[in-house]
Amino acid sequence: MKKIYSIPLIRGIVWQVVGLLVGIGIVVGIRAAMGLQATGPFLVTEHAWVFGGFLGTLTFLVGHGVMGDWFKWWRGEITSDHHEDKPGWEKYFGPSLDHKVIGIQYTVTALIVMIVGGTFALIFRTELAFEGMQFLKPAQYNTLMSMHGIVMIVVILLGIGGMMNYLVPLLVGAHDMAFPRLNSFAFWIVVPAAVWLLSSMALGGIETGWTGYPPLSANMNLVGQQTFFLAVFIVGWSSVLGGLNLIATVVRMRAKGMTAFRMPIFVWASIATSLIALTATQLIGLSFQMVMFQRLFGMGFFDPVKGGNPVLFQHLFWFYSHPAVYVFILPGLGIVSELLPVFARKPLFGYKWIAMSSLGIALVGFLVWAHHMFTSGMNEYLRVPFMYSTLLVAVPTGVKFFSWTATIWKGKIDTPVPTPMLFTVGAVFVFLLGGLTGPPNATVSTDLHLHDTYWIVGHFHDTMFGGFMFPFFAALYYWFPKATGRRMNETLGKIHFWLMTPSFFVMTLGMMYIGLNGMRRRIADYDPAMGFQPTHFVLTIAGFLIALSVLVFFINLITSLRNGEVAKGNVWNSRSPEWQVESPMPAHNYEHPFEVVGEPYDYGLAGSKYVEFAKHK
Amino acid sequence: MSHTQDKASALKQGVLIGVYLAVLTALEYFIAISFMSVTVLTLVAVVKAALVAYYFMHIYKLNEEHEGGHDSFEYKTGTNRLGLWLFLLSDSFVFGGLLVSRFNLLGLERPHLNQLLGLAVTAVLLLSSFFMNRAETSMAHGDTKGFLNGILITILLGTGFLLGVVGVEWRLAAAEGLTASKNVVGGIFYMMTGMHAFHVLTGVIFLGLVYRNGRNGYFTKEQHWGVEAAAVYWHFVDLVWIFFYPALYLIGTLS
Ligand code: HEM
Ligand SMILES: [Cu+2]
Repeated sequence: MKKIYSIPLIRGIVWQVVGLLVGIGIVVGIRAAMGLQATGPFLVTEHAWVFGGFLGTLTFLVGHGVMGDWFKWWRGEITSDHHEDKPGWEKYFGPSLDHKVIGIQYTVTALIVMIVGGTFALIFRTELAFEGMQFLKPAQYNTLMSMHGIVMIVVILLGIGGMMNYLVPLLVGAHDMAFPRLNSFAFWIVVPAAVWLLSSMALGGIETGWTGYPPLSANMNLVGQQTFFLAVFIVGWSSVLGGLNLIATVVRMRAKGMTAFRMPIFVWASIATSLIALTATQLIGLSFQMVMFQRLFGMGFFDPVKGGNPVLFQHLFWFYSHPAVYVFILPGLGIVSELLPVFARKPLFGYKWIAMSSLGIALVGFLVWAHHMFTSGMNEYLRVPFMYSTLLVAVPTGVKFFSWTATIWKGKIDTPVPTPMLFTVGAVFVFLLGGLTGPPNATVSTDLHLHDTYWIVGHFHDTMFGGFMFPFFAALYYWFPKATGRRMNETLGKIHFWLMTPSFFVMTLGMMYIGLNGMRRRIADYDPAMGFQPTHFVLTIAGFLIALSVLVFFINLITSLRNGEVAKGNVWNSRSPEWQVESPMPAHNYEHPFEVVGEPYDYGLAGSKYVEFAKHK
Repeated sequence: MSHTQDKASALKQGVLIGVYLAVLTALEYFIAISFMSVTVLTLVAVVKAALVAYYFMHIYKLNEEHEGGHDSFEYKTGTNRLGLWLFLLSDSFVFGGLLVSRFNLLGLERPHLNQLLGLAVTAVLLLSSFFMNRAETSMAHGDTKGFLNGILITILLGTGFLLGVVGVEWRLAAAEGLTASKNVVGGIFYMMTGMHAFHVLTGVIFLGLVYRNGRNGYFTKEQHWGVEAAAVYWHFVDLVWIFFYPALYLIGTLS
């Protein structure tokens, strides 16, 4: 018992529960003393749940110990910057300061949460396979659908957190992130948030979709709606702090000779992503906080009866959530640009253009948010400017496609094609479909028809799979040997790819097809007369096939961890510094610092060199 | 950096900036009662904010080159400084969002508040920034006593501001019927002042820690990043109020 309690994660959860109970107790006590009602449909009132949730988050962090060094600083103690993790698996459950451990913590959590989110989708997808309600109630459908959306968004945030944490310090030659304690904090704060998010299912669920629009979200008498807001708010802080740390790391900790235009493309992409995460995230936090306060204290921000304006919520929300879609995809597109030259054995075409296009997408991305609101009743004169600004994003996105095509053109790709390359090319094709389906949504006249249909669902699954899922899998297959010292199984990898990709195309094209014909999104049932049922059935089958392919991936991951072929040397024959040293990566990264002496992607050019390691002392 | 400045000229600069800020605040008040131009009020606020950011928060230090290696104290302080400023950038989006919400929801109306009290708390916060600046420059010149006194006065003034806003203004507003749940005017008023007061409160706590550690001799003339961080954060909270004050008290007609 004592041994289990000594694991920080377990200790944190115990403290979290205690904090929750204490918080509930305090609020109930105060309300009872003031003669206010203290009990509610979910045992106690929302106030108690929210305060308890907030306190529980703090107690989790204290109990877990991730803030230990900060408490010491506050007491005026000096802590050592040299930290050593004990070997073994325990470090993954505690506040390790090593960016590689934290990167793996992020990645593994993302994969676990992905299973949860995927299961939700399979359940409501099964319900949709036939018309009429089979085994779910509409409210349950809404909860599962909303949870699928928000849980998958958390997966993406965790996944990019994993990639950026693990890779960026290695790519820039730093021994760690700029603020290791903050890094650990930003990861661990997600854990209590995930607990609140999932517990909202037990507290009445959420019925609004991941966007949580008021007035519905403000009026639904469900505590789950509040824990959902609280959880997203906390996850937002993780994003903000992670982005802050990453920018500081890249600005301050680059190896000698790594000028801006000699940075790997993934680093550029991470900077662009982090700039968005750092700033825009505050606005989703604020908008959710305002709905929370509207529910708790009756502050009428979005309540027209009190002079509020529900459309304001949408502006605040999309000011983050549109740029957020670039947070989701830019790291993935960076991975694509990173891997293509390695496997095509050719220089990356138009390096500077690619680097700048990431920043361009991020900046223009701040000016397009109202394209989600063409039907919302916002001021009509806003429509056309937002239409054009949105279409403008296609330019920097197009730059990336030209570069990728030109990079693969006449490349010398190994046969059989290695799994990471398969997923990279898959990403390009899937993202192409996602990108092409964007402009019709951006054009006001067509969007008035497309908005809130399954077409949109098809569009964003294409962009998210092309921009995140495929590159994420590519990155996992590619850097798995670096992290573990073993390779993943190629046959299983190919099964994964060839099962997932066609099923995925069938699924999203099918979604768009019924969407064009009028199938609404976020709805538990549909009219038999519309003739959607056969397509829905196919979509469900395709969904299960994708899940099956991911299962193959998990089997591969777990078996390779123990029995995979040992990775020797530079597995992919890459020029990148992390592959010039042994695998798994040594605890303190580079024993001898390197200096950048050439261009990063000059593959196939004789005599070219990217990095040079310092000689033995 | 200003530690090449000698002690007397640092004091002179602090006083000068304090006077500028006070004059500009009085000017704001005059504009508001005489011709109430939103553009001019915004401009004055931007000038005040720029003064604070440059002279009190010394934003230019972000650009400093550091001689030592990546492991030297100076280099690490530079990294910390960047981190803090990035945090403030992020935080300013919260306050920006609140300002946007305020103008979206209330337009050119403002809540019915006590003007004298508003001017008083603004002056108190401004004065606290002056003493914070004194505390920091004292530390930079190795004057521990001046530093401790400066921090203590800042803490007192900060607490005074909190009492003025949360203790008095909130009560007065509620007594006049402006409660949080009455209408959106109340909602915005309590949200904006509450969010800002929360930041002041964290600043006071931060200063308290710095005071205690400073009394235990934790900071030196050369190494006092904790003091600098507390100062920059404190001035940032003041900078936010520079925009919140006209938005809540001066701009628009009474609702
Ligand atoms: C050329 C690029 C793109 C354009 C022009 C575009 C345009 C749009 C527009 C106008 C909408 C709103 C449609 C509606 O609700 O009526 C939309 C929805 C959406 N897009 Fe895109 N998009 C593009 C790329 C992306 C990318 C790269 C992603 C993310 C990875 C993305 C993710 C989404 C999501 C998640 C939604 C649905 C949001 C919701 O209502 O729940 N899009 N897109
Ligand atoms: Cu968008």
